[in-house]
Amino acid sequence: MLKRFYPCWNSIILGLGCWAVGYIAQAQNTDSTKQESTSDEDFSMYDNVGFADEGARRYCSPKIEGLSPAKLISLGYDFQAGYGLGVDTFTNHTNTWEPDSARVLNSRGLRLGFNIPVISRTNLVWQMGANYWEQRYFMENPYGSALQTEHPLLQTLSENGLRTFGVSTTLFKPLDDKRFLLFQGSADLNGDFSTLELMPLKYLKYSAALVYGLRPHEKKQWGLGLARTYRVGELNYIPVFLFNWTDPANKWGTEILFPARAHVRYTINPRNMLFGGFELEGQSYRLWNTNSTPDKFREEDLEIRRGEIRLRAMYEFSLKDFVWLSVQAGYRINYRYEVDRLVGGQEIYRAFGLLSDEPYVMENRLGNPLYFNISLNLVSP
Amino acid sequence: MKKLTLFLMGLALSIQAYALMPGEDGDRLLGVWEPSNGRARVKVEKIGTKYYGKIVWLKEPNDPKSGLPKTDKNNPDANLQNVPLKGYRMLKDFVYQGNNQWTEGTIYDPLNGSTYSCTIKMTDPNTLDIRGYIGVSAFGRTDIWKRLAVKK
Repeated sequence: MLKRFYPCWNSIILGLGCWAVGYIAQAQNTDSTKQESTSDEDFSMYDNVGFADEGARRYCSPKIEGLSPAKLISLGYDFQAGYGLGVDTFTNHTNTWEPDSARVLNSRGLRLGFNIPVISRTNLVWQMGANYWEQRYFMENPYGSALQTEHPLLQTLSENGLRTFGVSTTLFKPLDDKRFLLFQGSADLNGDFSTLELMPLKYLKYSAALVYGLRPHEKKQWGLGLARTYRVGELNYIPVFLFNWTDPANKWGTEILFPARAHVRYTINPRNMLFGGFELEGQSYRLWNTNSTPDKFREEDLEIRRGEIRLRAMYEFSLKDFVWLSVQAGYRINYRYEVDRLVGGQEIYRAFGLLSDEPYVMENRLGNPLYFNISLNLVSP
Repeated sequence: MKKLTLFLMGLALSIQAYALMPGEDGDRLLGVWEPSNGRARVKVEKIGTKYYGKIVWLKEPNDPKSGLPKTDKNNPDANLQNVPLKGYRMLKDFVYQGNNQWTEGTIYDPLNGSTYSCTIKMTDPNTLDIRGYIGVSAFGRTDIWKRLAVKK
């Protein structure tokens, strides 16, 4: 009986042995996956290789080495310290309001942004974005008492503030391994509307920029293009210059899309970056809300042309993995805060006074305060 | 009893044979690949039942400052900052799911020291869509990798 089982036991031992050897071999292999590096290998054999598919092409990347990470989601808060605000005479079809002034204790508001990659391929990158910005004004009269004014502009700024809802798109199209086209477009609803009562979409403002660029190597890209922009407060067509660069030691660099923004970057390490430079911010805001200014604005086709230069220092760093904090402080210089009247529903295109010297409806005066901005960001791979 | 023993033994050997079978679909990932930026070449190997990719070539193999071979100096773990980049496993733990897709893996970016969740899709025998993402696939970026072969 026992003898009958001898071959069988041998088979079991053999089988278990095979399994054990396999298991140990596999276990050793599995252990090797914990190693970060296997540098004892001869890597010279990988010098002489090329694409297996002979028709394959290389395309340049939209980024360069050392560039600050793109923000997928941004939750921010902007705060401007106190400044004076003087508003001009305003005349509509029924009345005239004399010039007035107020002390803005501060103006502040949320800044939310989303950017989602839709297509991310070697030969095409397409992103869609959305943003919500608000600027609420907290005012008193110039002598320190509660604001009491009949001027409709001060009334609507004080009670409604300014808001922007926008969508944007970015297309990066590499032409080969060195040349690329970059397109950015946006549609924004700007005005003194409330979040409960949006303005009609016919008041959307459209901006766009097209840049033709070169990326000679991993640490530099530059380009020239043309933009339709409201960054100086009113519609303009201006040339734009892109220049992103990182030095060989990955310490210093530039991130420039002039005139929209220009920064010098110092990289403490890839998770800690300092910036110094400026951003040109601006939009045309429709004066539309009638809650505080019944019948004074809506029929008048009026828009605030707001443009400002923000000289600033920024510190951006990784809080944990892909969650970054951005802290900035600077000086906000008013460039324009005029109120303009549309003619036949059309904006007056002045081209910096070259094509038209039509006066504004109100030429207002703003002081230049310190400002602060903080945002929590989810950054892109 | 003998039949049961032989069955178990056969099953054990079959499992081993399946795990080591070179011709299975997932093994089409094996080989040397180049990311779109052309800065590195990555060799994909199979270890056990999972797939791993290590850097085997760098366009700039030496640190421009020190002249020494590049190391993983951006790794947030200071203990790993002296590990050479050549040989570094930047793709880890991929499992073949069928339908030309490998999932459950991670990709490491030595430029910023970050590790991302990652999926790989083979769009043709010589092309991979490598998608690194944060949490959900929508928050990610796809890079196209091309297969390399020895020049004739």
